[in-house]
Amino acid sequence: MKKVTGLVSISMMLVLSLFLAACGNGGSDSEGSGDSNKVTAWAWNINVPVLEKAAEKFKEENPDFELEVVEMGTDDVYSKLTTGLQAGGKGLPDIVLVEDDRVQGYMSAFPDAFVNVSDKGFDEMKDSFPSYKTELVSKDGAMYGFPFDGGPTGVFYRTDIFEEAGVNAEDIKTWDDYIEAGKTINEKTDKAMIGLDLNGDDGLYRMMLNQQGTFYFDDEKNVALTSEESKKAMKVQQKLNEEGLVKETVGWDAWISAMTSGDVATAPSGAWLYGSITQQGKDTSGKWGLIELPAFEEGGNRASNLGGSNYMIPSASDNADLAYDFMEFFSTNKDVQLSAMEGGLFPSLNTIYDNEAFTKEVEFFNNQPIWSLLADEMDSIPAVNYTGDYAVAKDEAVKAQSEIANGKGIEEALKASEDRLKNRIQ
Amino acid sequence: MAKNLEVIEQSTNKLTLAERQQKKPKKKKNKLKAVWMYTLLSIFLVVSIFPFYWMFIGATNDSSKMFTNPPTLLPGDQFMTNLTNLNESIGIFRVLFNSLFVSGLYVVIALAVCASAAYVLAKYNFKGKKFIFTAFLLSMMIPYQATLIPLFQMMSDFNLLNTYFAVIAPQLCFPFAIFLLRQNFLAFPTELMESARLDGASETRIFISIVIPSMRPALAAASIFLFMTQWNNFMWPLVVLNTNDMYTFPVALSSLMGLSYIDYGQVMMGVTLATVPIIAFFLTLQKQFISGMLGSALK
Repeated sequence: MKKVTGLVSISMMLVLSLFLAACGNGGSDSEGSGDSNKVTAWAWNINVPVLEKAAEKFKEENPDFELEVVEMGTDDVYSKLTTGLQAGGKGLPDIVLVEDDRVQGYMSAFPDAFVNVSDKGFDEMKDSFPSYKTELVSKDGAMYGFPFDGGPTGVFYRTDIFEEAGVNAEDIKTWDDYIEAGKTINEKTDKAMIGLDLNGDDGLYRMMLNQQGTFYFDDEKNVALTSEESKKAMKVQQKLNEEGLVKETVGWDAWISAMTSGDVATAPSGAWLYGSITQQGKDTSGKWGLIELPAFEEGGNRASNLGGSNYMIPSASDNADLAYDFMEFFSTNKDVQLSAMEGGLFPSLNTIYDNEAFTKEVEFFNNQPIWSLLADEMDSIPAVNYTGDYAVAKDEAVKAQSEIANGKGIEEALKASEDRLKNRIQ
Repeated sequence: MAKNLEVIEQSTNKLTLAERQQKKPKKKKNKLKAVWMYTLLSIFLVVSIFPFYWMFIGATNDSSKMFTNPPTLLPGDQFMTNLTNLNESIGIFRVLFNSLFVSGLYVVIALAVCASAAYVLAKYNFKGKKFIFTAFLLSMMIPYQATLIPLFQMMSDFNLLNTYFAVIAPQLCFPFAIFLLRQNFLAFPTELMESARLDGASETRIFISIVIPSMRPALAAASIFLFMTQWNNFMWPLVVLNTNDMYTFPVALSSLMGLSYIDYGQVMMGVTLATVPIIAFFLTLQKQFISGMLGSALK
C-alpha cells in the first residue's frame, strides 16, 4: 500500500511541475490591475472598431491612455458578466456593452453593481439623447449607463417586388393597408409579404407593442400580455397568417436569406438590418426601400424601437474614473459616433442627426435618404419597461404567438401565457 | 482481444465462402440484397459527409453565397480571403496553439491522474473503496452549471484567472474516464501482477511496465475522449479567459457571432480549422479506439 501512495505522490509531482511550466508559458497578466492608465472593455464584433477609433482620439489629449478591447460574442458577454457579478464582481472589465432589453434586468438583479454615471456628471449630456434611451438606463432618477446605439424601426421592402405587383409602398399608412398590399403582392407575384419565425421569435410583436407605448409589462411592472395593445398586435399577425402572407423562416439566417433572395417582399425591423442586408445581399443593391412602421389607426404613432445597446461601468472596476472619462468622450464625440454609422450601428446621440451622413441619399436603397427617416423617429419612440423578467416574458409571448398561429383564440392564448408568466416570476 | 476478433472474423468469412459455393442459385437474391444495402449505406454516407462538405463550401465562398437560392454547391475561390480575414479577427495561429497546448497537456495529465485512480480502484482492496468509487460516479450527476460560479470564485481568489492552469485544472479528475479505465483494468489478470510481485517488481514498476502497456487500447479510447472534451470545451474557458490572445477555438469562434452581422466565410473557415486536428487525432488512435471500445463492451 505504501508503494501506491508513493506512486500517487510521484504523479502528483509530475502534474504540479507540468503546471508550473504551463503557467510560465501562459499570459498571466490578467485583469490589468494596478495599471492605472489601462481600461478594458467587453464588446461584440461591429462595436470593436468604434471603441478603438474612440481610444485613438481620446489618446490625443490623454497620451498615456490605453484601451484593451476583448472581443466576444453577444451572448458570451452576458455569460461572463453574469458569472463575474454573481462571484461578487470578480474578473470584470471596466466597460461592458449591454443590449437595451438586458439593461434593466442587470440593474435590478445586481443593484449596486454598476457605476452611477449621473453622480459623475453625465446628467448634463442627457438632452443629447432621446428620452426612451436615457429612461432605459435610469433607476430612481439616476443614470447607470451610457446610451449608445438604437434600433429605430421601419419596414424594409423590396422595390422590385412592389413594382411587379404595382403596389406603392408609400401608400401603406396602417397595418390594414399593409395586409391589403400583402394580398395584392401575393396574388400578382406569388411571394409572401413577410418572413416570421412563429415558434421562435416575436420581433414583430415586440415592435408593435413598443409602437403603442407598452410592452410585456406596463409602467408599473405588471404583466400586460392581455392588454388591448397586445391583442391588437396579435390580431395583425393572425390576419397576416390567415391570409397566407407569412413565410415561415426558422432562425435569423433563414429570415435574412428570404429577404435577400427575394422570397418575401418586406421585413419590419430595426435600423441595424441595413448592415445585414448590405453584407449578405450585395447583389441586391438598389432594390430596397424603407417606410415607417404602419400605424394601428390613421395618423397613429409609427415610431418604434427594436434592439440597441448601452455601455455600463461595473462598480468593481478599480479604474472607474478613467473609464467614465473615456465613455463620456465616446458617447458625446461626434466623430466617434459617426464612425459607428460605418459599421451599421445607429447612434442615439441626437446632435449629429443634421450631419451629411444622415441626410445623404443611400445608393443601396435606390437613393432614398433612409437615415434621416430613421433619425426623425427617435424622439417619438415611446419608452417602455423591459424589466428583469424580459427573457421569461418573451418565452411566454412566443408560446402565445405560436398557439395563435396554430388556430387558438387570441384572448385565450394570451390569457394562458399571462397566467403562466405570473406563476413563473412571482 | 484483437486476436479473438480476428478469429471471429475469419470464421464468418469462411462461412460465407462455403455458403457461396453451396448455394449458387441464391446468388441473384444476394446480389439484390447487396445493391439494397449499398444504396442505403451511400445515403447514410452522404447524410453524414454533407455537413463537412457544406463547411468546406462555406470556407471557400463569400459569406453572401451561403444564402443564395438555389444553394451554392461548388467550392469557391475565397479560401485565402476568408483565411486572412479570420486571421485578422481572431489570430488563428495563437488560437490554434492555445487549443493544442491546453488540450494536449490536459490529455497527458488527466490520463495520468485518471489511470492511477482507476488502477487503484480496480486492483487494490482497501476500506472505503466502494464508497470512493460511488462518490466518483455520483459526481458525474452534478451539472457543470452548479459548479461554475464557485469554481470561478476559487480561480479568482487564487489569482489564476486568464491562465492555462485555470482552464485545465478543474476537469483533471474526470469521472467518466476513471470509470472507463477501471472497467478495463478489472479485466487485467491479477495473476500476472502476483507473479511480477514474486519476481520482486515494485508496485510502481508493475503499474508502469506491465499493466499500462497492455492497456493501450483502453488508454487510447480514454485519451480521445479526454481530448474531445477539452477541445470542445466552451463555457469554462469562456468564463475564465479574459483576453483574446488566450482564447481557445470554441471561444474564439463564438466571438465571431455578433448581433446583426456574421461573416459565415470566416466562421466556416474557423470551424474547418478546428475540425482538422480532432480528425487527425482520431485517425491516429482509431484502431486502438475501436478495439478499446469493443474490449470494454465484450466483458
